[in-house]
Amino acid sequence: MGRTRIDMRVVVLLVLVAAVVFAVPLLTSDRYQLKVLTFVGVNVIIVTGMALLFGYAGQVSLGHAAFYGIGAYSSAYVVTSLGWPWLAGVATALILTAFGGLLLALPSLRLRGHYLAMATLGFGEIMRVVFVEASSLTGGPDGLSGIPYPSFGGFEIDTAGGNYWLVWGTAALCLALSANLVRSRSGRAMRALHGSESGALACGIDLTAVKVRVFVLSAALAGLAGALYAHVVGFISPSTFSLHVSVVIVAMAVLGGTRSLAGPALAAVLLSLIPFADAVLPGLSRSALDTIQEYQEDVYGLTIIAVMLFMPAGLAGVIRGISKRGRRAE
Amino acid sequence: MGTTELLQFALAGLKNGSIYALVALGFTLVYAATGAINFAQGEFYMLGGMLSVWAYANLGLPLPLAGLVGVISTAIIGGVFELLAIRPRKDGDPLAIIIITVGGSMLLSSMARHQFGPTERSLPLFSGGGSINIFGAVLEVQTIWILGITGVAVVGLWYLYNRTGLGRAMRACAVDRDAARIVGIDTRKMVTVSFVLAATLGALAGMAVTPLTQTAFDVGPTVGIKGFAAAILGGLGNPIAAVVGGLVLGMLESMSIAFISSTYKDAIALIVLLGVLFVRPQGIMGRSKREKV
Repeated sequence: MGRTRIDMRVVVLLVLVAAVVFAVPLLTSDRYQLKVLTFVGVNVIIVTGMALLFGYAGQVSLGHAAFYGIGAYSSAYVVTSLGWPWLAGVATALILTAFGGLLLALPSLRLRGHYLAMATLGFGEIMRVVFVEASSLTGGPDGLSGIPYPSFGGFEIDTAGGNYWLVWGTAALCLALSANLVRSRSGRAMRALHGSESGALACGIDLTAVKVRVFVLSAALAGLAGALYAHVVGFISPSTFSLHVSVVIVAMAVLGGTRSLAGPALAAVLLSLIPFADAVLPGLSRSALDTIQEYQEDVYGLTIIAVMLFMPAGLAGVIRGISKRGRRAE
Repeated sequence: MGTTELLQFALAGLKNGSIYALVALGFTLVYAATGAINFAQGEFYMLGGMLSVWAYANLGLPLPLAGLVGVISTAIIGGVFELLAIRPRKDGDPLAIIIITVGGSMLLSSMARHQFGPTERSLPLFSGGGSINIFGAVLEVQTIWILGITGVAVVGLWYLYNRTGLGRAMRACAVDRDAARIVGIDTRKMVTVSFVLAATLGALAGMAVTPLTQTAFDVGPTVGIKGFAAAILGGLGNPIAAVVGGLVLGMLESMSIAFISSTYKDAIALIVLLGVLFVRPQGIMGRSKREKV
């Protein structure tokens, strides 16, 4: 099978979306808006990893907040306490989370069934206890504050717009690399095992190896997101890396749909903005925002259930449906 | 450490262990019927406590009746949840069911917060604050209630499983769902029954323990994970193993407080969970079986 033909309209759409995303800091200088949208970009990075795991490898992690947290705390620690440069902090975060992912995935993915979900759930809760109790490293329940901004050499990115571009640039890079991966040989192996594990096995695909690699990659992406979050926000505490956050990440991937990267990225944007709706809807009243925040958990929970029951292909299925109809209309 | 202190820790372990056993039984019943893990199991424990408090404090019912209302209404919620959120997913894919129950867990705890508020609530002790002295160790009367309720629930479940037609059908589903369907068992009904029973057992635990520990809308996940660790420790899918797993886990936690420290008390269940998954995924009482393609 040769290269799949690339639809020109998709390319145009991608360029347009990228242009809009990158123009945001030129259109607004509101610090709150930029901070919220930067946070959205961090979530896009985590969800891209989860989309590879859920949508392509057919596994789910209920402890991704732990990798997010390990990335954030390790980078913050080596930069703040050991005086390492930020890029070394990012490297530490990537290495630790990839290694942690490997340790967790190897034993649980040997088994068929959904042991990974349970193992990651347990791992996430253990890390939550560690974040609170290992206070000499993590600052305990109060967390770590005064984490310096990301910097390259001597150049510190200290503006809201600069951090926005850094995070979204990284997100775009992660999406591009992941898109490349799912078109590659290992990507085809991933899709094959999502279709039928027995069938994939019969084709000579090493199921465990593929799943372990995808999990390690998704853990490392969460770690990368953590290393960005800690330095962009400047403050981290255990509540940012709770079970609740792991579940919200799953909700984003589920709403996004399977065998897609654009769907989950879009879902990450939509669901991340729910509690910060005032950043994108400037006319929103304080009491309306309070109501939205009061019911956000219900929205996440209902979204998960409704998608699994009524549109298992998620937003990706909707997108595919629209593009198919467009092609037929020609 | 003296024998009396050790006995005191053992009694605490037995009490917590019997709570874990009830929650673990809920996991095991649903797993046997669906092959999936019900992440909302901890929320049934939470609802059992919260609805009993609501019936007692808001409706003004006498305590025994309030407890009954709490358990029965949780059982109904368990059944309705299955009918509305699990049954419509016709293929019964275990991963889909796991994810649905994750969403259900979030939804149920959030609805409990809207309904009952964010504060901790409590029930009075079932028969006053008395205690018995056993070789110097103190056994609270409420603990006897907890052990008694667990005992009755386990015996009742044993009877249902081994002495009734419904129980036989449930066991058949656990062994092989397709074969059970072929011989005329309504497997979808068994899934509903398993959710109702799981909710009942969770609610009994939550109701019995609320006078000692209080309860709140957000206690579900913590208890759920411990109950799940107990179910895995014993061997998922086997009710006797779930009870053994619960009691062993309760003892392990208690002894870790006695001999190590209480700082990482909550981590014990998680370490047990990961350790068992990695070393002996079939649990201490399960038989190893090789998966065939």
